[in-house]
Amino acid sequence: MTQPTRTTCPFCLNGCTSGVEFNGVVHQMHYFADAEVNKGRLCPRGNSANIVIDHRERLCRPLLDGRDSTWAEAEALVRAWRSEVKPEEIAIVYSRGRAADEVRRLHGLAEELGTPNLACGHIEPENWFNARLEGVRDATLADIEAAKSMLLVGDVFNTSPVASWRMLDARYSDRKNRVIVVDSVKTRQAGFAHFFLQVRPGTEPLALMALAALIDPGAAHGVDVDRYTELAGVKRQQLEAAADMLGPAVPGFVASAMHTGRVVHPSLHSLASQFVAKVAAKPFTGFRETGLPFGPTRFADLRRAMAEGRIKLLFWTGGLFPFSYAELLPETAKVEHLIATSIFSPDPPVRGLVLPMTAELERASVGRSYWGEVERSPLAAPLSGTRQFGQMVEWFGRAAEKPETVVKPSGVDDVLAMAARAAGIPPATGEWLLIGEKKAIGLRGFHDPEDEVSVNRADAARLGASAHSYLMIKSPTAEREFRVHLADAVPTGVLMIGTNVHANRCLFPLAADELTGEVTVAPAPVSVEKTARAPVAASENLTVWV
Amino acid sequence: MKRIVLRPDYCIGCRSCEAACRSRFKGEARIRHGEVTTDALLPQGCRHCEDPLCAAACPFQVIVKDPDTGVVRKSDFHCVGCRSCALACPFGVIPPLLMRHMSQKCTLCSDRPEGPRCVQTCPTGALQFTEDDRMPEKKAGVGFAVRSVHGRRVQ
Repeated sequence: MTQPTRTTCPFCLNGCTSGVEFNGVVHQMHYFADAEVNKGRLCPRGNSANIVIDHRERLCRPLLDGRDSTWAEAEALVRAWRSEVKPEEIAIVYSRGRAADEVRRLHGLAEELGTPNLACGHIEPENWFNARLEGVRDATLADIEAAKSMLLVGDVFNTSPVASWRMLDARYSDRKNRVIVVDSVKTRQAGFAHFFLQVRPGTEPLALMALAALIDPGAAHGVDVDRYTELAGVKRQQLEAAADMLGPAVPGFVASAMHTGRVVHPSLHSLASQFVAKVAAKPFTGFRETGLPFGPTRFADLRRAMAEGRIKLLFWTGGLFPFSYAELLPETAKVEHLIATSIFSPDPPVRGLVLPMTAELERASVGRSYWGEVERSPLAAPLSGTRQFGQMVEWFGRAAEKPETVVKPSGVDDVLAMAARAAGIPPATGEWLLIGEKKAIGLRGFHDPEDEVSVNRADAARLGASAHSYLMIKSPTAEREFRVHLADAVPTGVLMIGTNVHANRCLFPLAADELTGEVTVAPAPVSVEKTARAPVAASENLTVWV
Repeated sequence: MKRIVLRPDYCIGCRSCEAACRSRFKGEARIRHGEVTTDALLPQGCRHCEDPLCAAACPFQVIVKDPDTGVVRKSDFHCVGCRSCALACPFGVIPPLLMRHMSQKCTLCSDRPEGPRCVQTCPTGALQFTEDDRMPEKKAGVGFAVRSVHGRRVQ
């Protein structure tokens, strides 16, 4: 058995210390009980680190149009394609999995190549926690431990389960301490709340702006509380009670999380959460799996350039969502040469060249957690057949690191104007609205196939469905059959599915945030019908991972 | 003996315990989850009963209770996968592994001195590994888990 390597878990920004030991046959997780942030505790994602290292779906050789290729062929192709196109016809996109130093390197590469087309392709709503409001302080671990009043927006517990430990300790430390949860779904986290505000899906920012106006009417001038509460589907009295609990004199914090397929205006969601923190004089944390800086080009503009045929060579590095879904990003069909990097074999296969990369766990990097700077050491030697990021970048050019552009924080007036505009946008229409559920299930659907849809009992009766019967959900981009899970936590007219597995993600078409024009993954209007498949009890429907 | 106990008021239903077990045993978790209510998913693991029904049901005496540690163990080598233990378990926590025609059985991670992985990894500390007599419910002699099934004392 090797000595366990100590590193910082890369799967979210909580900065948990984790480790892997190797017994000569398999890698096993090691838990460091002396770690400051997590005391050896890990979430399901962190616990799947060892299986990623030698996962059977790891990509170990370059793929060209879905077939095996060689590194020599790949390098020759990249150099040839690179020489065929003009600099402005090259686009570079980075997404989840790229470390801060690697993003800086890509900024240097774009400058070296002379292309302005450098975009962040991590379009998950959570990345909008990069949008900051001036005058709001980041929360620390000490803030959480000393909190007497906590406002949790979205499912924070499922985004960073390990961080929830301190929040629960703070909740139970004094009977007078209060937890307020704002969410469209009554999650398990809401079960811990003293006060739960169930809003209509996507209207969290409006409820938050109304809450801020009740805490400090002077700061939130122009907010029509009655209209915002009506749009959010909550009562003014509820918000007044929450405002009393969040008074500026009470120590506490505001935490927010955003989930794929559950947020309509991610930029406003982020800023409205911070606005409440500002008026309530509390620190703020935006819980997320990763945070990547915005690029000089917006992803929406890059999509347009691809659709108009102005991009001939696309180099996508990092997580492949939504790049690998032809249904979601049909614009890539117009691009002649596609090059991507991946740690797993793309499923389904993608056109162009896919280069196998080392996983985050196999390389050293420096980054940030919610609580400060962290360093990551390799947990294992790089898997045979993979290569480091820098080696592939060199095929394009010798690029030095260049700092990314720092985004200026927004002001209060910007947030108020955005909220006013959002209140004027009509909600998505349709009989059924599909929303996403956050589950920390580990990489590659580690222990949950996410084949269940949560449905309100009344809705299930309307559809003629019962527990464990099957529903076919059809969206403009895809369709999938789901087993019914009866859950009164879900509002009427809403269907909720997990968003970790590819089949489910394809059901959410990419949408444009009308406030920013940027691409996002919002709740989707869908059609649904009961299928003839016989109900199967969950316990009988065993999925075995081998 | 030491047992795994759950503090439901700390469990957030994240299934990290299951993931840790699955991670160690390459996909074969010995701990399962069940819904207590539609919005509360709680872990369910082997309780290492005082008089285990699974051992009594096993036709080949593959399952035995260790008299020193109290751990109920199963020999994978001799298991024929008849699923009798899975049927006999009053708590339904022995899932049959269909691919190998064997049943999985928690051993309280006897291979590691720090105790069970699921307990150590639990993000909120909802799972505790503690001596029987430290359980307040047991001290008080109230309901917690002292149950009998078919006249046998299971826990």
